[in-house]
Amino acid sequence: MHVGSVVWLLLVSIGASALGGALGMASGIFLVPLLTLFGRVDIHAAVAASIVSVIACSCGSAAPFLRSGLTNIRVAIVLEVATTLGALTGVLLAGTLSTQFLFGLFAAVLLVSASQMMTRRREISGEPDVFNPRDWATVLRLHSSYPDHALGRDVFYHVRRVPLGLALMYGAGLISALLGIGSGVLKIPAMDTALHLPIKVSTATSNFMIGVTAAASGVAYFARGDIDPAIAGPVALGSVVGALLGARFLMAMSGEKLRLFFVVVLVAVAVQMLLSALGIHLLGHLA
Amino acid sequence: MNTGLARSQLDRLLGKVLHRGTRLGSSIIALGLVLPMTWPGISSTMICTRIVTAGIALLIALPILRVILMLIVFVRERELRFSVIALLVLAIILAGSVLGIASA
Repeated sequence: MHVGSVVWLLLVSIGASALGGALGMASGIFLVPLLTLFGRVDIHAAVAASIVSVIACSCGSAAPFLRSGLTNIRVAIVLEVATTLGALTGVLLAGTLSTQFLFGLFAAVLLVSASQMMTRRREISGEPDVFNPRDWATVLRLHSSYPDHALGRDVFYHVRRVPLGLALMYGAGLISALLGIGSGVLKIPAMDTALHLPIKVSTATSNFMIGVTAAASGVAYFARGDIDPAIAGPVALGSVVGALLGARFLMAMSGEKLRLFFVVVLVAVAVQMLLSALGIHLLGHLA
Repeated sequence: MNTGLARSQLDRLLGKVLHRGTRLGSSIIALGLVLPMTWPGISSTMICTRIVTAGIALLIALPILRVILMLIVFVRERELRFSVIALLVLAIILAGSVLGIASA
């Protein structure tokens, strides 16, 4: 381990994680592009290292979410069956997919994230409650309530369409393992639209699930010897530090202009990843 | 509301374990990274790489520990369905490590 490369990796991951944290996203979404585009790190090594930092960030930020009483643990463990299966599939596929394909897929996920930043999440409600007492959510007693401080009381909610949620989560787990991202960006819409969870609940529950999903692929990558401690060590440490800083930024600043700025950053990174997929390097040779 | 109480206790326990575990894992990694810089004379590369690897392994193990804790609570509350679901998640993770070793 060279001191120079350790310091470089630390700084890059602090930056990527702080940026991700300020956006309310996992660190991986910026980590893998930075490592591959500027650090000339092989994408498979970058993905494996990023998975470790995704785990660290999810675990490090879990406590406040859990204390808030917003996390639905029962929903989380049910959906984790699907996300871990997806993660396993992803690890098996990762070795067979070309670097170009992974860069292209990453670009697509970045663009989805950008479009998601543009459209505000809305609470989905309205539909009359017609319940089938034999549907999955009722049988598994997934319906729950969360404390709403603004209203000063507990808000009860019903969980819907669990099978659809499971299918979407399988996909989220697969993408997470392939790209080394938390893929909260894919989990949260699945929870909002399929399960109809309240926004606060789906954010907290998604964060809780990211750790287990990433651990499933992390264990497999670790056992396969894909995790290089010289890269993953500094990256994980930097991400934990960066996440702490990012949370501070998130509280200090907000606003439309900032959101627009991040959308531009996401699109720019997506374009660069796409060019790399096609074998064109604009920035890569600087490092 | 016995189950409600148990749930909030579980939430707190999980939060504490995850938070402290992350801190410990990161500290171990930091130790493994700083040691060779402050002490360049010794041929410590191998040992320090192992220390960093141990820290990484601890971080990866944390969410798995979390599922095990949840399993224990589900079993104690006699929630058969959820005990089986938690076991299934653990089995999938275990399958991943077996497949990983097999294809190493």
